[in-house]
Amino acid sequence: MSFDLNFIGILIGAIMASSVPLILAASGELITERSGVLNLGVEGMMIIGAISGFALMVVTDNLFFAVVGSMLSGLIISLIFGLLTQSLLTNHVATGLALTIFGIGMSAMIGKNFVGIPGKEFPLLFLNLKESIPFLGPIFFGHTIILYFAFVLPFLTNYFLKKTKTGLIIRAVGDSPTSASNQGINVTLVRYCCILYGGAMCGLAGAYLSLIYTPQWIENMTGGRGWIALALVVFATWSPIKVLIGALIFGGITILQLHMQAVGLRIPVQLLSALPYIMTIIVLVVISRDSRKIKLNTPTSLGQIFYKEK
Amino acid sequence: MNTKLKVSEISKIYPGCVANDKVSLEFGSGRIYALLGENGAGKSTLVKILSGVVKPDEGQVFLNNEIIKLNSPLEAKKNNIGMVFQHFNLFETLSVFENLSIDSDKNDEDLRVLVNDILKKYNFKIDLDIPVLNLSAGQKQKVEIIRCLIRNPKVLIMDEPTSVLTEQETDDLFISLKQFSKDGILIIYITHKLKEVLSLCDEVAVMRKGKVVSVSNTIDEKIESLANKMVGENLNTIKKKINNFKNSEEILKISNLNFKSDDPYETNLNNLNLSLKKGECLGIAGISGNGQNELFQILSGEIITEGTSIMFRNKEIGKLNPRERREYLMAFSPEDRISQAAVPELKIYENVALNNFKSSNFFEKGLVNEKKIKEHAKKILSNFAVNTDNVELKSQFLSGGNLQKLIIGRELITSPELLVCFNPTWGLDVGAINYIHETLIQINEQGKSSILISTDNDELLKLSDHICVIYKGKLSKIMNADTVTAEKLGILMGGGSID
Repeated sequence: MSFDLNFIGILIGAIMASSVPLILAASGELITERSGVLNLGVEGMMIIGAISGFALMVVTDNLFFAVVGSMLSGLIISLIFGLLTQSLLTNHVATGLALTIFGIGMSAMIGKNFVGIPGKEFPLLFLNLKESIPFLGPIFFGHTIILYFAFVLPFLTNYFLKKTKTGLIIRAVGDSPTSASNQGINVTLVRYCCILYGGAMCGLAGAYLSLIYTPQWIENMTGGRGWIALALVVFATWSPIKVLIGALIFGGITILQLHMQAVGLRIPVQLLSALPYIMTIIVLVVISRDSRKIKLNTPTSLGQIFYKEK
Repeated sequence: MNTKLKVSEISKIYPGCVANDKVSLEFGSGRIYALLGENGAGKSTLVKILSGVVKPDEGQVFLNNEIIKLNSPLEAKKNNIGMVFQHFNLFETLSVFENLSIDSDKNDEDLRVLVNDILKKYNFKIDLDIPVLNLSAGQKQKVEIIRCLIRNPKVLIMDEPTSVLTEQETDDLFISLKQFSKDGILIIYITHKLKEVLSLCDEVAVMRKGKVVSVSNTIDEKIESLANKMVGENLNTIKKKINNFKNSEEILKISNLNFKSDDPYETNLNNLNLSLKKGECLGIAGISGNGQNELFQILSGEIITEGTSIMFRNKEIGKLNPRERREYLMAFSPEDRISQAAVPELKIYENVALNNFKSSNFFEKGLVNEKKIKEHAKKILSNFAVNTDNVELKSQFLSGGNLQKLIIGRELITSPELLVCFNPTWGLDVGAINYIHETLIQINEQGKSSILISTDNDELLKLSDHICVIYKGKLSKIMNADTVTAEKLGILMGGGSID
């Protein structure tokens, strides 16, 4: 019995680990979108974060530099998006798509020299507690610092948006940039900051993949997780806590269906592989079906170009 | 504390339009100043300059004899100039208190105390913790005013504040403004409504085509004198001829119309009944957002409601779509000219073809017959006094008045039996309004019917034979226009009842 419980604990730990990149990227994109900017470049920023994190790890042999560097690279590539959409007033959707294509191509080019190099072991915290407490141990302990950060982040984001002045200003800009500008808020600056923050979080999400989750560089290793993160934000109706729930469901079913495949259940593999996507959407749609709340949470100006009257 | 505000030689030129041409004006606290003018006269540009939203090309602003720089809204605020815009600058999804706290440097507790003091002092009743989208227009305006009051303004500028208010709310606003004025706040009141100038303001400056044409005390002015200064010509007043439609047949009958929307921004309609005779104009009054949009869309067929009976010319049309309704001789002029009635990027002749897919031979074998459409468009332009003969012009370059003439012309040229208009003169200048009004009277005289949904009571009283009021999705009883006064309408529009 205790063995079974421990196994379930390990399974839950694995589910948590697999949802980390989604939580990080989606939380970042959530802030960006709350300011009214639709950045479809999540996938591109993630993969740039993944390759630069891995490359820096190989070059400097220092994981701290690798992690910080991945965030910086995500930030820099999102700065391109910011320059285009906020200063040159290009269309958000087209620019975001271009960013993703650019990111995938760029990472493949840089990554050529890093294929096949083994990763470095990332330090796990509270390893002794993980071993000594059955069931709860593998759930709560023995993870990397980034995982703990990812699980606190949605709550911090929620608090930040709801309770702080800066959060209020971001929501105001997303609601009506014209009104915000007339109130003396520098809309462009606020949006730049939100874009850069989103970029840094996507970079970190990418680094989690290449440094921790599958510690090596594989071309296109984000495998569409950026798109899932984008969808999570929308289906979670811009609520950070629901993003967390959605990411866990997605991660959970991904892991479970792998186990189901391994056990050899007589369900078509294609159906099992599609299951995470279908279930996540169904659950999020059901928990966020209150149309009043959707109205209140949706950034009204999402994707609209803002320019100041001169 | 005496406040003196002076603008000196302010000029602002937009491409193709001189918005302000060396405007100089002086204001002092304790008085209420009116800035009067038609749309496009330059009032809004001037107040945008005063509130730091727009930078002038030339000229200076003096506050208490010192030059002040107004390069951003923030600088206007720092100089204690408060501004309430015509289109509210509120964040709909944020709560009232969040809206107020966003540009205040006070902490939340102090601010709450201050706001509650203001609410008490001026007898405002607003729940601070509900989202702004749940407030009425009058309450939203109060939130805007409170936002200014928090900063102890020396100057308070109100831009067309009564365009969204009921008569009762307008009265309340005037009481508050007089109170502010007594408390030493200099008030500049922008409007094109002459009655308000006379009842509220002490001094009036009239603007026309970017220039100040007159400054005077309101005691010395009358409605006619102000109107003539504003327009710059003597207006002939239209008087509606009494139509003899009473014995004519019923053309439209709607019974037990119900509409329930899932969208919290929309209004539900409850048990609407109305009937219309040939040659009659039915006016529907009401504050915007009380169900006019939904009613218009149901009449035009944009919304199809289950089980609704709409009898038009002895035929049940409740399930027909807008095109089928047009073919059955209904015509529609929606409120939003630019996005609902016309496609701004399309040329005039293309827009003209849009409501006429089948009944004419504009299209042959799926191809566009440009020549015929252009001839048709030219006919509309000349018949309806649109100030251009270039059918290749993109519709977005037409002024509001010309675009409205084009739309009404497009609808009327097929000689429909019924025209449904929604705020047909909204935002137009006096000349264009006159033209549209004459046209609407004409169609009644020709024995055609019309439904006029409007938020402008003067217009309704002038054009309608019968009037009813829509309030929270319900229609009042239908009244004979001769027995209705603006006061009665005001009471009904605010949800009151009359006997």
